[in-house]
This record gives sequence, structure tokens and C-alpha cells, in this order.
Amino acid sequence: MPRNPVVRRRALFTTLVVVSLLLLTVFFREPATGVLHTVQQGGLGALSPLQSLASRAVQPFEDGWRWIGQALEANDNNQEMRVQLEELRGQLVALQEASQENERLKGLLDMRQAGIFPQDAAFVVARVIGKSPTKWQQWVQIDKGSAEGIVLNQPVVGATIPVAGSLSGKGLVGKVIAVAAHASQVQLVIDPGSSVAAVVQGIRAGGFVEGTVAGGLLMDYVERDKPVEEKLVVVTSGFGQIFPKGIPIGLVQTVGEVDVNIYKQIEVRPFVDFSSLEEVMVLTSPVQFGAGVEAMDSVIPRDTGATAP
Amino acid sequence: MTALAPRLLSIFKLGLLIVAAVAIQTALISRLRILGVTADVFLILVVLVGVSRGAVTGMVFGFVAGLTADIVFLDPVGLRTLVYLAAGFAVGRYVEEFGLASAWVIVLVTAVVSLASQTIYGLFQFATGPEGALFAMMRSQMLPAAVFDGLLAAPLYLGLVRLRVLPPPGASEPSFR
Repeated sequence: MPRNPVVRRRALFTTLVVVSLLLLTVFFREPATGVLHTVQQGGLGALSPLQSLASRAVQPFEDGWRWIGQALEANDNNQEMRVQLEELRGQLVALQEASQENERLKGLLDMRQAGIFPQDAAFVVARVIGKSPTKWQQWVQIDKGSAEGIVLNQPVVGATIPVAGSLSGKGLVGKVIAVAAHASQVQLVIDPGSSVAAVVQGIRAGGFVEGTVAGGLLMDYVERDKPVEEKLVVVTSGFGQIFPKGIPIGLVQTVGEVDVNIYKQIEVRPFVDFSSLEEVMVLTSPVQFGAGVEAMDSVIPRDTGATAP
Repeated sequence: MTALAPRLLSIFKLGLLIVAAVAIQTALISRLRILGVTADVFLILVVLVGVSRGAVTGMVFGFVAGLTADIVFLDPVGLRTLVYLAAGFAVGRYVEEFGLASAWVIVLVTAVVSLASQTIYGLFQFATGPEGALFAMMRSQMLPAAVFDGLLAAPLYLGLVRLRVLPPPGASEPSFR
């Protein structure tokens, strides 16, 4: 045995390492019935009662600990599921939006195919991106401009889903009053400064549909001898070279006559719900103006059960 | 005879410590999982003995504790023996050489030794067993277990000092204050 403690320590360390490696070697080389394996199995057998006893003693604490863990996990799961719920809600909203947009766009095709608007008319579908901040002016901004072929004074119509032959949402919206490269401003027909030449369908009563400060439509200059009744359809007459003939505007809501006035004043309920405009169509190609509305009379039945928005 | 008695007593205490480690590890600690890992009481005790009693006692204690752990945990006999032996020796030598500025270093040393020993253990398993995700284990098992071991070392050390199994920290010895 060396006297130098350092040498002795190193010798002891080396010896123990060698013994360890020997044990490892023997363990891997011996069969399962070998000495070391047998010792292990004996140790397992000796410890099993202790483990069994400990298991029973510790069980309540273990249960308590597990309960805490599960409670924490449940809390985490709850939070995670809340996040997932919010994500799914967001996705649902996005899907609903996409579905509605799809329906709207499909509706546009249906309108052209159904002949509600002139067959030769070309549309640019635009999304409403801004609205007038006050009711003193009634306009909207759309996301299409000169780059998409939009020019001043082009007529704009609604792009709402057609429902069972109803004209709701498919009427005249207004005209383009300002154009930028990728945006335009559309004056709504309900703007107090708007005036559209129109006729009451069927009875050929002409006049002008004007916007009111209240956000409604008033048809003026209709001769008093014309038998205007409620629920008749008012369409554009095509006079004025801006709006092509036959675009539906709304339904006659009330007919007013004042003794001192030689014209009737007709309140028109628009087909378009201007408070929820999302998409519109700008008529970009040259369309037929003037020359009466007989052609459209055959397209738009007088008593279609058309409903206002 | 008078010089031999304290030494025998000390050996007896360390022997009891191993028996206690078996009981505590199998009955309690193995059932206590934090972040999915359990602490290794054997390794912690090896570190504490190495810190308190030096390299020689540390490595002998590591050898016996490792051998016991191999038998108890049904590991290849000699594997933990070798790892704990090296750990006890390394920690003892470190303390003999540099001392301990603070008892909190025990926590750090335990964590480092735990990480090192698990790495060796993991490499061995990687070499002899089926291919395991060593780096994944590093993140999910080794690091949390090292932290756990380090944190458990402090109360164990204080408890063993109070029970007079390990020498109490003197003026020049590590203190948790």
C-alpha cells in the first residue's frame, strides 16, 4: 500500500474504476441466471415489501399531489382550449365572410343572367371601403379606380344576393363622382344633391328621384294625373346620359299630393340598404340610354312581390 | 481504538445513509415527479459526501451507492457504480482544491454533476440500447432533473448536518447563510 496519499488515492480510484468496468463486463457477458442478475433479482425481492408499504403510506399524498397536478393541468387545458376556441371563432367568422362574399358574387352573375341589368353591360365589382362621415353627404368609397377602368359618372348598382326573384339589394346605388387610380368615390342616390331621371314602371309616369337629408328618396315632378300607386316599381328612365334605362331604384311607398303643387311627391323606398353596403357593381361599358323603358318592363314584373330591404 | 471508533461510526453512518437513500428514493422520491422528472437521491448524497468528506470518501461512497443503485434500479451493474464513483471523486477533488466560497455552490455543483452523470448515462444508453433522442432527452429529462437535484441538495445537506451525519459547516466551511 503506497504511503503517499495522492498515489494511494489514485490507486484506489483506478482500482474502483477497474472493478466497475469488470462488473459491467461481467453483467453483459453473463447469462440471465448469472450472479449479478441473481443479486439484482434478490434486491428486487427484498425491496418489494418496502415499496409496497411505502406505496400504501404515500398513496394519500400521491393522490393529493396528482390532484393538484390534474387541477393545474385542467387549468392549462382550459386556457389552451379557450385560445383554440377563440381561434376557431375567428376562423368561423372568416369562413362565414367568405361564404357571404361567395353568395354575393354569385348573385352578381345571377343578376346579369336574369336580365335584371342590361346584357351588354360590363361590371366591375368593387368593395366599399369607406363611407361619408356625416349624413349631410351620402357617399361611399370603393376600392376600384381608373386602373380598373372606372371613370367619372359611371353608374353604380347594388350587389346584394338575389332572393327568390326579389329586387331587394339590386337597385341603383349612385354614380362615380371622383376617381383615383385604385379608389373611387360614389355619390349615393340618397345624397341630397343627387337627382336621377326615373319613371314609375307600367304607368310611364316620369320624374326625378332625389335624395333627402333624412337619407330617403323622393320622386318629384310626377304629373298629378298619373295614377301612381303604392308598391309600384320605380326605375331609371335613361334620360340624362348617366344612368341607363331600366335600373330598379325602389318601390313607391307613399304618394303625396299638395293642392298648391302641380306635381305629385312620391316617397320611394330604395331597393338597396345603404346602411349595409359592402359590395357594389360599377357599370363600365357603354349601355343604352333613354328611349323609354319598355324593354325593362318585360324584365321586371310589375307585381313581383318585390320587397324593399 | 479511540481513533478507530469515530471512523467506524462514520462508516456506519454512511452505510445507514445508503440504506436511507434506498428507502427514500424507492418510497418517496420516485413517486414525486416535478416537470416529469424525479430527483436522484443517490447522486445528491454522493455529491454531499464528496463535498463534506473529500475525494477518497466521496469516491468510495459513490462506488457503494452506485452499486446499490444499480441493484435497486435494475440497471446494468457497474454503470451507476462507475458514474457515481467518478462524481464523488471529482466533487471531492474540486472542494479539496478550490474549497467552497458559499454553501450555495453545493446546489450548483450538484446540478452540474447531475447533468454530467446523466449525459454519461444517456450516452451509454445511446451506445448500447436502441437509438434514443439524446438531445430531446437533454431538454425534457436531463436539464429539469439537474435543476431538481440541485434544489433538493440544499435541504438534504441541511438535514444531514442537523442529524450529524455530515460535519456541520464551521467558520471556514460552507454555510447557507
